Amino acid sequence: MKNSKSKAKKTAELKKEKVLTLLQNHGLIMYNDLDQGKFPQFAVPSRSVSNIVYDKKLRQYILGNASALRSSKNMSQLRSFTQLAWLAFFANKLIREGKTSTLRDIYYSSQAFAIDFEDQPESDNIIVDLEAILTSAREDFHIFPEERSSVFGDLTIEYTVPGYEGKRMNLSDHPDGYLIGPSLSSAELVDTSAELVIAIEKGGLFTRFVEEKVHKKFKAIIVDTAGQAPRSTRYLLRRLNGELGLPVVILADGDVYGEHIAMVIKSGSANAAHLRDLTVPDAKWLGVWATDIEKYKLPTIPMTESDIKRIYELQKDPRYQEGNWKKQLEVFLKLKRKAELEAFSKYGLTNITDKYLPEKMELAKSL
Amino acid sequence: MSSTKETFSQISPSEFFYRNRDLAGFSNPTRSLYTSVREFVENALDACDQKGILPDIYLSIKAVDVEQPDPKQYVLTVKDNGPGIESKHVPLAFGTVLYGSKFGLKQARGMFGLGATMAILYGQITTNKPVTVKSNTDGKMQDEFVMLLDIQKNKPIIQKHTTKESSRIGLSVSIVLEGDYSKAGTKIRDYVSQTSLITPYASITFEDPTGEKFHYPRIVKEMPPPPTIIKPHPHGIDVETIRRMIVDTHYQIPTVDNKIITKVRSELGLQKKNLNPEGILDRAQKRWSNLSRPVRTVIAMMSFLNLDFDGLSKIRIDDLDIANKKLTYWNFGESQSHLIELDPESPYYKQLANTVQGDTLHSFLTKRFQRVGPTTADKFSEFAKFKAEKRIGSMTNEELVRLSDALQKFEEFLSPDPSCLAPLGEEPLSKGIMKFFNPEFAAVIQRSASAYSGFPFIVEMGIAYGGDIPPKGIQVYRFANRIPLLYDEGSDVVLKVVNELDWTRYKVKGETPLVIVSHICSTRIPYKTVGKENVADRPELERELKNALQYLARKLSVHMSRQGMADMAKKRANLYSKYVPLIAQFSTELAGKKQEPNYKQLIKKGSELEEQQI
Repeated sequence: MKNSKSKAKKTAELKKEKVLTLLQNHGLIMYNDLDQGKFPQFAVPSRSVSNIVYDKKLRQYILGNASALRSSKNMSQLRSFTQLAWLAFFANKLIREGKTSTLRDIYYSSQAFAIDFEDQPESDNIIVDLEAILTSAREDFHIFPEERSSVFGDLTIEYTVPGYEGKRMNLSDHPDGYLIGPSLSSAELVDTSAELVIAIEKGGLFTRFVEEKVHKKFKAIIVDTAGQAPRSTRYLLRRLNGELGLPVVILADGDVYGEHIAMVIKSGSANAAHLRDLTVPDAKWLGVWATDIEKYKLPTIPMTESDIKRIYELQKDPRYQEGNWKKQLEVFLKLKRKAELEAFSKYGLTNITDKYLPEKMELAKSL
Repeated sequence: MSSTKETFSQISPSEFFYRNRDLAGFSNPTRSLYTSVREFVENALDACDQKGILPDIYLSIKAVDVEQPDPKQYVLTVKDNGPGIESKHVPLAFGTVLYGSKFGLKQARGMFGLGATMAILYGQITTNKPVTVKSNTDGKMQDEFVMLLDIQKNKPIIQKHTTKESSRIGLSVSIVLEGDYSKAGTKIRDYVSQTSLITPYASITFEDPTGEKFHYPRIVKEMPPPPTIIKPHPHGIDVETIRRMIVDTHYQIPTVDNKIITKVRSELGLQKKNLNPEGILDRAQKRWSNLSRPVRTVIAMMSFLNLDFDGLSKIRIDDLDIANKKLTYWNFGESQSHLIELDPESPYYKQLANTVQGDTLHSFLTKRFQRVGPTTADKFSEFAKFKAEKRIGSMTNEELVRLSDALQKFEEFLSPDPSCLAPLGEEPLSKGIMKFFNPEFAAVIQRSASAYSGFPFIVEMGIAYGGDIPPKGIQVYRFANRIPLLYDEGSDVVLKVVNELDWTRYKVKGETPLVIVSHICSTRIPYKTVGKENVADRPELERELKNALQYLARKLSVHMSRQGMADMAKKRANLYSKYVPLIAQFSTELAGKKQEPNYKQLIKKGSELEEQQI
């Protein structure tokens, strides 16, 4: 434990330094260009569909080699180049001052500098451009979306945000769980007695799991992904897995979206193909599988047309071409019915924690 | 079985409208005030249009008691310089529902003159005050009527009728009604000002309850050519219309009364003289070719009745059953009913049969519809599987329905005749727009006539850009038959077409100072609702609107490119000097330097680049 602790202590600090260095380098290049009478430019990796490829080795989607030049020489790009330079400048300030900002904030902050973003989508887009250039998530330069997912369990963290530096906290002190926000994301992971992370799709079941003391029974940290897991949550899951060596298992609704929630935690989304460190390649999808629906005789509801369309879409995805992922899609398509996590309540409120979870955990060992 | 008996009672049209006033736009004091203004102003404009008089319209709304809060009683007066209404027609025209002069098929703002009576009715219901109508048709005498409507009997009650000398021709109507000007005011002012835009040949004055005067002078001196009344197009009618057309032919068995007997005597030259039945028939035979059709019919009946004029005046024809060759009549003198067998061999039988059964299908089609010639009539008969000689009066209900269906489906009818339409014309429209908006650029177009389900229509459209127009995005002014449409714009076909156009292709984006004026003329505007405020999206109409709009948008885009070049040049000149210093500031801070880089040379390079590109 001691060993992992000292290793963990550095993670957040290292990351901060890495991003600051990247920003400074880009600043220097621009500075020198200007000084030498050259128009500065950025190479922005292309995020068009044709440039998104699946990397089998990394086990996630990545951007190909195509990139577009954004040059301050080009009159039609001059404005967006300046916006990009401003955002780098602003991110640098945020990191150095230990402050955070939201996507909406950025849009308004720009107005103080006469950087005229026409609307928020335009400023959001520039943020993704900067992510792609630095290959760092916006959270790394302290820009956060609205948070809604949470974590609970025996995990001690140490804050790095200003005013709380060095302060420690155990995440099992509050039964509603802790919001996975900027300060938690930038905290060092210090210590844990847990041996497992359970990521669960829904807030209601997260509360049930806490009530039923799943964290004790299974020595687990429980994470509520609140639907499709946000980046900060995926980043935390990765750190729990990578830094503390905890295996991650995922429980989601028994439908095509639930299966894909598990897949995104495991291997990322096409939208974030320009980013790394957001995946948990060894995460295991426990259920609810299509085959569980029959096995556990779960009450079901019929799929909608868009559910079925989504299955056909995923069947084209390279990650669904083999094994259990492929099989479950096929069974879903055959059943044309789906079951939510709450469906287990038909057999009593604790059925899911007393019966289903242990059985699946046992099964997971062989996966 | 149920033993309850339903009772049916008839209600008069006035009562029907009284019970259904919401339908006609009289749902609340706000809407009612607006609708009343509309109905009276439109009637006034229509009256002038029809006689080719350049309209001078005066509208005033005055509170009865200024101190009272809204909703309260207002006096609404509309004066015009139209032809006026003959004294004897005034009570019926304003005192009954469904009396109007607009029954022909041509474009007019209102259809049946219903609206004005509705407004009078509404005023009477809410205030119990009479309507005052002043009419002068000859420039010598003015008649003034003060009257109420008897709602149950659908009859006017004249309270006062006076005449006085006056040289001013025209009509003035004044009612007292409950209204809410504080809420309706904006719409009414919009209505008046937009009416002046689409009626640039009219002069309109509006005096509002606060005493403010809005005067819209005449912009053009020429009236657009008046529309002509035409026959209906086969595609545009239904079973009920056909039935009415058949009934209102003059081929009816005339009622045998003293009036018709006098007519028969006069046509036979027997005003004073009496002859026996044979004598009368002989005389009729000699003059047959000169006799009118009703007279011929009466003679034919006399031949079977074997009566002279005296005898004829004592009976009443009850039934003429051609199919069973029977005629029943009632003799007043004997108080007894008689039945006569008709001899089908008699030439008079044929006369009666033809009269009762009406025209042949062939002549019905060619005489009663527009653009149907003998060849088309034959082709149609074949298509509809009727004999062209079939008498339309002998058709059963099923056959009428079949006929009406076939009229809708037959595709070889020529498209409807647009001569019944009265578009404003490109020049007056353009002048109206220039005067009204004072734009930097304007263009107009009048599309050629088109038709939907047998109703001809013409789309006129104008576009105006810049100048005095506020930069609030695209504003659409909708008109139909020279009426501004102010309510329910969301679901209107014009809005749909405007919104569906990809404006960025025409260099229009954001809060452009842009106005679109759309005018649809038709004998029947396909309104979605009874309130006549939004037009339905008929595909034919949508296509015409779209074509007109695209044409105008292209014109605008040409103008914008010319304008745009000049603007862009100005804008770009500052681009590098605006952004390069910012980039310098940001990179200095990022790089952790203390002094800004020397970027002056870049700005110079930039402005050189700009010059090359322009």
